[in-house]
Amino acid sequence: MTRYTASGWRTAAHFVADPLPAAWRDDLAQRLGRRPRRVGLWTELAMWGARSCVDAAGEAALPAGARIRVASLRGAWDATHAGLAQLDAGLPMPFTFMQSQPALMLAEVGRCLEWQGDASFMLCRDPQRLLQLATRGAARDGLLFGVVEEARDGAPARSEWWRLVPA
Amino acid sequence: MREVFLAGIGLASVLGDDMPAALAALQRGGVPPTPVAVAHGVRWPVYKLAAREGDWAGRVRHTARHVVAQTGDWGMRTAPLFVASSSLDIGGMEHAPQAQRLGGDLQDFAEIVARALDWQGPVFTVSTACTAALNAVLAAADLVRDGDAAEALVIGAEMDNRFTVAGFGAMQLLAPDSAQPFGAQRKGLVLGEAVAALRLRCEPARWQVMGGSNVVDGRNPSGTEASAVRAMCREALARSGLQPGDIDLIKVQAAGSPVNDAIEAEALKQVFGALPPLVSLKSVIGHTLGAAGAAELALLIGCIEGGVWPVRDYPLDASLGIALSEQAPRTLRHMLLNVVGFGGGHASLVVKDCAA
Repeated sequence: MTRYTASGWRTAAHFVADPLPAAWRDDLAQRLGRRPRRVGLWTELAMWGARSCVDAAGEAALPAGARIRVASLRGAWDATHAGLAQLDAGLPMPFTFMQSQPALMLAEVGRCLEWQGDASFMLCRDPQRLLQLATRGAARDGLLFGVVEEARDGAPARSEWWRLVPA
Repeated sequence: MREVFLAGIGLASVLGDDMPAALAALQRGGVPPTPVAVAHGVRWPVYKLAAREGDWAGRVRHTARHVVAQTGDWGMRTAPLFVASSSLDIGGMEHAPQAQRLGGDLQDFAEIVARALDWQGPVFTVSTACTAALNAVLAAADLVRDGDAAEALVIGAEMDNRFTVAGFGAMQLLAPDSAQPFGAQRKGLVLGEAVAALRLRCEPARWQVMGGSNVVDGRNPSGTEASAVRAMCREALARSGLQPGDIDLIKVQAAGSPVNDAIEAEALKQVFGALPPLVSLKSVIGHTLGAAGAAELALLIGCIEGGVWPVRDYPLDASLGIALSEQAPRTLRHMLLNVVGFGGGHASLVVKDCAA
């Protein structure tokens, strides 16, 4: 678990699963009332964490004026690697390419929250700076901030989210 | 809260490596796209940067230095740096053996750029597909506005890579020949390579960065959503303290998509009623994806300051009921820049000409 602090903000909910439960995909399908289609593992992890965090905050829906910010060092590694292999083979596939794009993850997170608003994928080596940036200019509806990583090189998968609101 | 101004711009695109070269190329009628092979027998046109010797990372370093130099002297280079890109360093990965690919992370590309510039300040990556550079401008403006930084540098960069071209081709979003925004024969978008730099500062300059907006709507991940277009325009206007009638020029998204161009045109009419003059730049530099917000803003300002205007050489779709302006508006105080993209991203920015 990472500790993030932003002056003038309080944490309304913090969601982290460590370790990831075996049935997390079933849990996501149950929360959504459907199984996600044509999205990659990284995006599913983001959807599950975002939805779980909003639920943990006791909110029926993420307010329209809230911001979503997502960070990830590795992103959709599996889809990107597969897409490069397809390119080598001369067989680029549309859904593999789409799954490699952070913007598609944002679209699916917004869709699973039935929300339209300001969502961005941003990254900085210093997580505290990233959080500071995310809060600058944010409205009173606050911020849903997530860090999402696929499992890789011995590091476990991670989907850790904070629902932050002005203190 | 401080005001935010645009204190410097830099651009390298198919039109040339700097603004004078770009304007000269526009006056000559532009530069055509180059076919790029992505698979056996499959080629798509791309508006490419000038060919340069050296490896991929070396070309990134050279282009970044050259473009940032156009924004003036940065002194200690401790300001926040935002690197906006959709493809990041995938072009470099294409040339690496499979086992060595993706050994780093998504911040690596921004750090290649930062090292090339000997940048000492905090470095951020913004990757939201086509809206990345505009989102970077909004984030950088937040820092300057709130007093966290006196200035900030935004770089939008899309360098050569076949991965993105192949991906967009596989999604059947590309035109086989040329980009024709709002055109009667439009068949899709044509991608472009570009590196653009925007220097944001709290000290007054001719161009003021007003309000902006970013609206993600996941209902149509590869297309334009009318309600999101309306929302992005209205929110950008509201954050700027303006009404639709205050806008003198709209830089449209219009990438040449048969469906998305029509949705955008209709949504703009719903917001503005009688439309102000419209300008499109994608027929001259292509859709530069994550760089588009910075590249098109830089080129538009270059065109206005330089007295040059993009010439349209194809017929418009009369059914859309819109026109593209053939010269800069005589009165131009506020302009709205719209960028819509892959992943349901819709972003707008209002820029004010303080000299008008």
